[in-house]
Amino acid sequence: MTSDSELLVPLHVAYIKSLGENKDDLVYHMTAHLRLNAIYWGLTALCIMNQKEALDREEMIGFVMSCWDDEAGGFGAHPDHDAHILATLSAIQILVIQDALDRIDIPRVVKFILSLQQPSGVFAGDSFGEVDTRFSYCAVNALSLLGKLSELDVEKTVAYIRSCKNFDGGFGACIGAESHAGQVFVCVAALAILDRLDEVDHETLAWWLAERQLPNGGLNGRPEKLEDVCYSFWVLSALSILQKLSWIDSDKLSSFILSAQDPDSGGIADRPGDMVDVFHTLFGVAALSLLGYPGLVDLDPVYCMPASVIEAKGLRKSWQALERRSK
Amino acid sequence: MHGVKRTRQSREAEEARKLKEQAKLKDYLLLTEDLLSRKKKKDWSKEAFDLATKLLHSNPEFYTIWNYRRNILINGIFPSSSVEEINSILSSDLSLTTSALKAHPKVYWIWNHRRWCLENVPPGPSSPTGEQTQGWRQKNWEREMYVVERMLDADARNFHAWNYRRYILSLFPTPPPPTQELKYTTHKIESNFSNFSAWHQRSKILPLIWEKEGKEREEEMRELEFDLVRNALYTDPNDQSAWLYHRWLIGPHPDPILLTREITSIQELLSEQPDSKWCMESLVHYTLLLISLTPETEREEMKSECRRLLAELAGVDPCRKNRYQEISERLGV
Repeated sequence: MTSDSELLVPLHVAYIKSLGENKDDLVYHMTAHLRLNAIYWGLTALCIMNQKEALDREEMIGFVMSCWDDEAGGFGAHPDHDAHILATLSAIQILVIQDALDRIDIPRVVKFILSLQQPSGVFAGDSFGEVDTRFSYCAVNALSLLGKLSELDVEKTVAYIRSCKNFDGGFGACIGAESHAGQVFVCVAALAILDRLDEVDHETLAWWLAERQLPNGGLNGRPEKLEDVCYSFWVLSALSILQKLSWIDSDKLSSFILSAQDPDSGGIADRPGDMVDVFHTLFGVAALSLLGYPGLVDLDPVYCMPASVIEAKGLRKSWQALERRSK
Repeated sequence: MHGVKRTRQSREAEEARKLKEQAKLKDYLLLTEDLLSRKKKKDWSKEAFDLATKLLHSNPEFYTIWNYRRNILINGIFPSSSVEEINSILSSDLSLTTSALKAHPKVYWIWNHRRWCLENVPPGPSSPTGEQTQGWRQKNWEREMYVVERMLDADARNFHAWNYRRYILSLFPTPPPPTQELKYTTHKIESNFSNFSAWHQRSKILPLIWEKEGKEREEEMRELEFDLVRNALYTDPNDQSAWLYHRWLIGPHPDPILLTREITSIQELLSEQPDSKWCMESLVHYTLLLISLTPETEREEMKSECRRLLAELAGVDPCRKNRYQEISERLGV
């Protein structure tokens, strides 16, 4: 088999393991503001490839805890970086996957997350107040994983997401913004967690999502834009929540994702021939899992975490992936 | 790494690159360490402010340093500054971040910092009678409109820039009339029919204008919109942007006469472009809408036309054939 038809699991595992070993590289330090997110991306990709043990559990939990910002009561992306809701969700996701939630002061984190909700219902990323429906999703996902959704003002949260809905069925980052597949994922997944999918115009949105597929099999994030592997996950996740995965050509999409692998050093890029990174590696592997690629572990498209972890917490929603193929 | 080509380097070349980088890396780490420790000590000095400028110049994604920069302003610099000085500091921070924005047009943190600067521009200057004017705010807002237009000249689909544009418009001290924004979208669409971001903006601006100008003017303007979108559809029937906009213009509850007229018009385009997926797709959508507005007994002919189009669509657009089949099955045999 060539790299165009097969997922190069051992190479991707080696690539993810190597990411922590580049400490003499400028790029490694210039991306410190994404470190905790990157660990979540790498760990989740490993779990989906059934290689969770490839990274040391204790070391990982220790690093997560070293990112705690005690002044704010949340997690930064790196030790001594400020708390932000993006890093806080990654920390919680990592600790849930590693079954180590007992390490954190849950009431304090909940307080931090709830403090970010604005009068309009949207969430800010931190105390400086940038707002985005991404942050609403982070808050809903994190509170759900912590078992504290009951403390959220659901009506207010849903009202803001509703006000970001466009005529094409999609959602934007804020009121008035253009529909974007990434924002569609966060809004639909947040509504799924809150059991409020009645807010979605299923038929129109599934149509818009299906129209993201381009003749080369890849998916774009907005009309008349280029394909990119990360949209594979965002579009597929929303389609599987709407139970319409069959509305695109899954074989062509699988081939596109596989063609974006680096066949020499592992990892997946945004598109064929580009530099790989752990973000696209996760979203490529996650999409292949939803498409039933053989040998992969089931991914929960709502939380973007291993399905077994979400099921064990009793949080599974009614999404539908393609049946896993045996070969 | 979006859009960065993969290159193969020999081990030797890789080592040489890292060696060359060492000095840069050392400076970067020293500066980072210095600033993070000053931050811990709540050092709100001008010196720390300047060091933050330097670090953000090499890494504009370092959000903690953006936060620190704002905290230095709030806690250290603003309390000892006059309102004139605060206005001038914020104006120069906006200028400074313009070059960062040009180099990194998609970095959330830079856009976010500009919002913060704008929101903190004080009212002023005072008029001769001692009243506060909105002069400083107006001037800064106008400059932001200029900056965002240059950003949209460089990339007409940059959603950060469009979001920022809507943000500025919503908080303008003396906002330009919505008709001016409509003109801007016309200009963007006419230079590229494929710019869906501009069509989208139009779908947000027109309702504001219509609400103000009344039903009669709305009807006239709608007809002009149909002319504009028809022009785009005939120019490139394969481009999604105009088809999506056409769907917005028709809306979920159209007048049957208008709907029939548009169906006829698309049928004409289809006869010129017999393989056009978007003609067929739109015909199915609009015919289904028309069916819902038609008495049960008169629906069969339209249904069979939809089934015929859906079968053809499955052939010309095989990626989405399951969707077409599903809709066809729902129509019954």
